[in-house]
Amino acid sequence: MNKKYALFPGCLMPTEQYAYELSIRETLPLLGVELVNVEGFSCCGEPMKSVNQLLTLYLSARNLAIAEKHHLDIFVPCAMCHLALTECQHVLEKNPAMKERINGMLAAEDLTYTEKRHIVHTVDLLYDEIGVQKIKEHVKKPLQGVKIAAHYGCHLLRPSEIGRPDDPENPQKIETILKALGAEPVNYPQKLDCCGAPLLANLPESALTKTGQKLQAIQEQGIQGLVDVCPWCHKMFDSRQAKAGETVAAKLEVPVIYLTQLLGVALGISSEKLGLELNLSPVEKLQLEAVK
Amino acid sequence: MRRIGVFVCHCGINIAQNVDVKALTEYASHLNGVIVAKEYKYMCSDVGATLIKDTIKEFKLDGVVIASCSPRMHEHTFRRVANDGGVNPYRVEISNIREQCSWAHSNKEQATEKAKYLVRSAVSKALSLEPLKPSTLKVIPEALVIGGGIAGIQTSLDLANDGFKVHLVERDPSIGGHMAQLDKTFPTLDCSSCILTPKMMEVANHENIELLSYAEIASIEGSIGNYTVKIRKKPRYVDVDKCTGCGDCATACRLKDRLVSEFNQGMGKRGAAYMPFPQAVPLKYVIDDKKCLFLTKGKCGDEPLCKKACAQNAITFDQKEEIIERKVGAIVVATGYDVMDPTLVYEYGYDQSPDVITTLELERLISSSGPTKGEILRPSDQQKPKSVTFILCVGSRDETQCTWCCRIGCMTALKQVYLLREKLGEDVEINVCYNDLRSFGKGYEEFYRKVRGLHSNMFRGRPSEVRPMTDHLKIDIFDTTTSKLFEIKTDMVVLVPAMMPRLDATEFARLLHLTLSGDGFFLEAHPKLRPVDTFVNGIFIAGCCQAPKDIQDTVSQASAAASRAATILSQDELEIDPLIAMVDEDICTGCGICVEVCPYEARTLNERKRIAEVNDALCAGCGGCIAACPSNASIHKNFTKKQLLNMVDDIM
Repeated sequence: MNKKYALFPGCLMPTEQYAYELSIRETLPLLGVELVNVEGFSCCGEPMKSVNQLLTLYLSARNLAIAEKHHLDIFVPCAMCHLALTECQHVLEKNPAMKERINGMLAAEDLTYTEKRHIVHTVDLLYDEIGVQKIKEHVKKPLQGVKIAAHYGCHLLRPSEIGRPDDPENPQKIETILKALGAEPVNYPQKLDCCGAPLLANLPESALTKTGQKLQAIQEQGIQGLVDVCPWCHKMFDSRQAKAGETVAAKLEVPVIYLTQLLGVALGISSEKLGLELNLSPVEKLQLEAVK
Repeated sequence: MRRIGVFVCHCGINIAQNVDVKALTEYASHLNGVIVAKEYKYMCSDVGATLIKDTIKEFKLDGVVIASCSPRMHEHTFRRVANDGGVNPYRVEISNIREQCSWAHSNKEQATEKAKYLVRSAVSKALSLEPLKPSTLKVIPEALVIGGGIAGIQTSLDLANDGFKVHLVERDPSIGGHMAQLDKTFPTLDCSSCILTPKMMEVANHENIELLSYAEIASIEGSIGNYTVKIRKKPRYVDVDKCTGCGDCATACRLKDRLVSEFNQGMGKRGAAYMPFPQAVPLKYVIDDKKCLFLTKGKCGDEPLCKKACAQNAITFDQKEEIIERKVGAIVVATGYDVMDPTLVYEYGYDQSPDVITTLELERLISSSGPTKGEILRPSDQQKPKSVTFILCVGSRDETQCTWCCRIGCMTALKQVYLLREKLGEDVEINVCYNDLRSFGKGYEEFYRKVRGLHSNMFRGRPSEVRPMTDHLKIDIFDTTTSKLFEIKTDMVVLVPAMMPRLDATEFARLLHLTLSGDGFFLEAHPKLRPVDTFVNGIFIAGCCQAPKDIQDTVSQASAAASRAATILSQDELEIDPLIAMVDEDICTGCGICVEVCPYEARTLNERKRIAEVNDALCAGCGGCIAACPSNASIHKNFTKKQLLNMVDDIM
């Protein structure tokens, strides 16, 4: 039976991280996931959180309410949006007064938040909803010999109290999925380090230093490449890799690829359809076209 | 016609300020059956007691009502006073007009009215109270001590020296517990085995102590003064009467140096035939039946080499588990603690690098009888570390693991800093990451001051992560005293893990009917006034099975438990409180519901008479069986249905 989700695109994916959306739309339907485009979704609110918390809550609640109107669970590929919506749901479930206040604001658009909808991210959608066994069964080209490291991203793991897709200290779901695809996940001490993105607006130099340091450590350990699952992390590691290299005075050549892109390769989808040419990092070094 | 006296206490102003004591006394004096009513400032004082006694005699009273504080405070006192005056102590009724009246209300007029109702209902109960007599029970003047760590050793020696026979049961092949694993002890730095071994030897040689090592409790029945204990003796596969402890079997064992040594915390190796440590008591070898080739596979080369090597012919592979029975009057539980598994705090890398160890493992490295003969060597490359970092409170004071303080971590780390500085000199960099340094005991603060002078770096904060790099470890820590983020590069990390209840504490508590506190340690009967008693009469607790504590406190508590046990053992007979359940044999149908509900195993079915009975010694008077009995055959003495309904009628 097909699983049906409203696809919540967020702001980054439709404006610059096209490869993530392309690969999601190519791969997930093959695994029995029906993605529904819902009109009216806005920003998740998270970027405004430090300025106006109520606004953040309102925006998140608005998106939840829209999904609710269509009786759909929500698939949020961006880790930051996923956190915003999950946190909002947590607050509204725990704080009836706030729920009433937010619903008062939503009434202007004839929307209302009443019940908890399931909010999933790429990682738990693949691991918990679809299941590793099913993914394994669909693999056409096992990624043999691809030794690659996983980057989860901070928003995906913390704060653990409100429920996040994986363990905050020792996450293993991406690695397990990679193994199912036939690749060899590599452990590395910097696994939980931040990509730097949250600092990008105010302290761009510090942000790029974080990015550069992590990529440099990966390169020095001889790891072939990095897999990520968040458009913000990818923006830093892939799109800004050259800039990050300049900041830490290192020549960085680390292939960075979305988990859904790798999944697509293993499912036998062509690289154009997966947007591999949109990656700015040297993904060709992974020699994915050689995979049979 | 009954003759009741009512005595109203002011409790200073505690009662008097919210209850009109004079009016209450006046009211009470007119109640049916009341001959006299008096008030006094402190009824529990000597003068108050004399007043009660004299009044009893003067008015020839046969029942007494005291309107005062909660019966939990002074019921016992007033029962004794009444007895001295000549009234049966179980014909005393307390009316609680303090906790349940004057303290709870602010309107004096209404509180006085309520007090009148309370006293009236107490008088109605006093009118129907039966005179009761406590029964007696013979005491077996022997004790069972469970656990042979320092707590159990101390308790056993104290009781044995008092002249009581002690049966000391230890689960491991040797007594000594965690203390035997330590090198030196804080804050005096005396050598742990130097102060422990003589005590262990004394246990082994004491004529009043029966040491049952490598044995566990199978079951416990009976009650205070008369417990029947079944003890499961695990097979050692070594005849202890023949074994001289020479060690030829261990040298010959095919698995020599191939199994993990529990005593050395995995830092050293042993064989299947082994002695846990050189000072073990009893000094007898044991064969590990989970690992021994002959015992697991039925074959060990052509023949078991240990058997061949043993000149005494002490190896007996056909030894079987044995259940023995002992009868004792009191039990002291001293089962100790478990160290928290540090892998639960994944981010500190215990299972990611061999160079992340625990304090207990470092203790074995420091010990001159340990696997490295006292040399501090890094596990990964057996080189002297240039930098060692301690992380305190691993799992302790942590809402996701153990919320409590382990009470020994700070001082253990400080002691080890001192010993490392002594062994490795100034070459080694020592870092300590702490939350708060708690040096609370006698001489502890002075020791801390001494260690602060040893050029160690103190960081206040919880490290966020320990990262194993290729040849070193990296620690991120935010120091809250300087508000700076530090990155520490170090060779070895020593974790100070939390102290936990034994993993089988819940199961063990069920065996003995002990209560656990929220944290899983055994619960004492009162945190301040009955710190080594439990809610089961005749069973006492000592040491870390009650809560984490250091050796000093453990030994004090062990002696306290011995003394509490001796109070029972030194009596020939014990009085049993008569306020317990009884059975109306004419009504009882023998359905057995009371047997099922009784948490103290005090109810049994008499198959011959087809009725349920009460074991007076076991019954705690909880009332469970009275509520459960469908035919009203279970009766709580002096809390009968009629007595209670009379009270209710009078209070309505």
